Amino acid sequence: MSIETKMAWRNIWRNPRRTILTVCAITFASVLLVFMLSFQFGSYETMINTSVKISTGHLQIQAEKYLEKKSIRYVIPDPDKITAILNHIPEVAAYTLRGQAFSLISSQDRTYGAVVTGIDPEREATVSRMKKLMREGDFLTGHEVNQALVGRLLAKNLRVTIGDELTLLGQGRDGSIGATVVQVKGIFGSGIDEFDRSTLQIPLSTFQEIFSMDHAIHEVVVIAKSLSDVPEIKAEIQATLSGLDKDGSLKTLDWQELMPGLRQAIEMDLVSGLIFYGLLIIVVAFSILNTFLMAIFERKKEFGVMMAIGTSPRRLTKVLLIESMSMTLIGIVIGIILGIFITYYFQVHGIDFGAGQELLSQFGITGRIYPKLSLLSVSIGPVMVLFFTFIAALYPALKVRRLRPVEAMAAI
Amino acid sequence: MIIKNLAIMRLSFILALFSTTPALALDADSIVKNGFEYWRGKASIATVQMLIHREDWQRSMTIKAWTRGQKESLFYITAPPKDYGNGTLKKGREMWLFNPKVNRVIKVPPSMMSQSWMGSDFSNNDLAKSDSLLLDYDHSIIGTETHEGKKVYIIKSIPKQNAPVVWGMQHLKIREDQIWLSEEFFDEDLKPVKIMTAMEIQMLGGKLFPKVWRMRNIDEENRYTQLSYESLEFKPGLPDQLFTLSSLKQLRR
Repeated sequence: MSIETKMAWRNIWRNPRRTILTVCAITFASVLLVFMLSFQFGSYETMINTSVKISTGHLQIQAEKYLEKKSIRYVIPDPDKITAILNHIPEVAAYTLRGQAFSLISSQDRTYGAVVTGIDPEREATVSRMKKLMREGDFLTGHEVNQALVGRLLAKNLRVTIGDELTLLGQGRDGSIGATVVQVKGIFGSGIDEFDRSTLQIPLSTFQEIFSMDHAIHEVVVIAKSLSDVPEIKAEIQATLSGLDKDGSLKTLDWQELMPGLRQAIEMDLVSGLIFYGLLIIVVAFSILNTFLMAIFERKKEFGVMMAIGTSPRRLTKVLLIESMSMTLIGIVIGIILGIFITYYFQVHGIDFGAGQELLSQFGITGRIYPKLSLLSVSIGPVMVLFFTFIAALYPALKVRRLRPVEAMAAI
Repeated sequence: MIIKNLAIMRLSFILALFSTTPALALDADSIVKNGFEYWRGKASIATVQMLIHREDWQRSMTIKAWTRGQKESLFYITAPPKDYGNGTLKKGREMWLFNPKVNRVIKVPPSMMSQSWMGSDFSNNDLAKSDSLLLDYDHSIIGTETHEGKKVYIIKSIPKQNAPVVWGMQHLKIREDQIWLSEEFFDEDLKPVKIMTAMEIQMLGGKLFPKVWRMRNIDEENRYTQLSYESLEFKPGLPDQLFTLSSLKQLRR
């Protein structure tokens, strides 16, 4: 240990109460930042996973122009090739196939336009929360034909209940007219009005028959084991697809491309969070600055003596910086450790949202939000604290250099 | 004498000035009305081939059509066999579809009237509201040109205030012998959206009539729907029961 470090360390503990208070402020800021950032990242993950599980999925494979223009003609002609690829990617938790067509849907006395989606009931249940969203009746089992699930608001508009008949009339892939009569087997409510007003689901095989699709489909919907696996899976699918599909007519889209609104909402929330953290850090930095300035006024005489006996100003600055940095580091280290412990506890047990829980659970969300520790959420806050306290400490440490030994020694 | 003559001349000149504008406006209205009546006849029976053309595919159907007056029409598809028997009945602003496979009649809801009819470039509105041009628009002549040696009136049609229409403006070209040559549709910003043109004018159903009609989007040269008459017969009238829902259902044979 060099002489400067030794001196700095002893100086810190000359006034233990003040040191402990300063360290506490830094610790508190660090704990708060670690927890809040982990909480924010965790709630985003919950938000994303909740949204993708209504219907979108983490990833989708579609024909190139399908996202932009949902025409029934832009199909994936041979989905088996794609499912074969997906079966070989271990990070894929589940996938399903869907077909979609806009149709007229008519009950006894009313007609509305809606999107008819052909789903594979068994796989759909593993990908989306559809099965849990049933309000009345039952989910499709996969063996029936001409049965339909109707969105809550669409059912209300059409004035139908379980067992009623609906006529679908739309246009098939080859331009022919597709029509059929289906029976309402279940009514679902996702909580998203737009979806509940405009969606009707029928078994994929029935869909393919009505709309002359052969074996073609429109979307392969993929759920990843974890949100962080998404980019990797996307890259892997793209790499394998480009070998298979030479003319590049298929496209792999992730949730950000499928739901740009969600990404924007997250970005906005993150920015407002960052402003709050910025303010917190500034407050902490000022309290550090205050502590150090006080120390210098108090120890003017001491510095004067040291300079008089030949201590160079450079050395004094160094001692002061070591003092401040070691206080900050102690605070940050305790803060990170404490922060990790607290966050980890909630990461395991979740944070209860009380009254909202019942409401949320209707939509298949547990009503608990789980913070998520990551290298980024643990390090980014404390590093910022370190940086700003260093800046704050720099001012008094440099001010010392301008002391004149004689005047300084005369100070009380 | 000379003075008197001059006075009369001046008077008639002033009268002429005053009378030209209303006379012209009246003219435009009657040109459109006569053209429309010539086009529709009192009643007609026709077989039409409808070709839907897109950049990468096309498809054609054969349609049998009955029309009566300006408001009533009934069509059904006779080919291809897969779509055989699909029918459409329109009366005024209302429209019904019939599908033989499910044996049901569906009324097209108002919200769906701007959707395309059977995947073509004609919207349900184009079919159901064809006489809205007469009722909901003010017409004025903005120019003339010649076509096959005959005078053609270019007419600008602006919707009346509060008229329930989707177009911001239409341009019509109607030949002096009442043949409708084109109808161009503009949106609210007065940008052209689509245009219907008549071609191959020949004797059809006992009068000169364009055999081919083409509806094309303005920005896409390769995307259009073309109607060509295979047969056309004008009638003095057609029975009432032809334009009913039960007749729509029975046409499947």
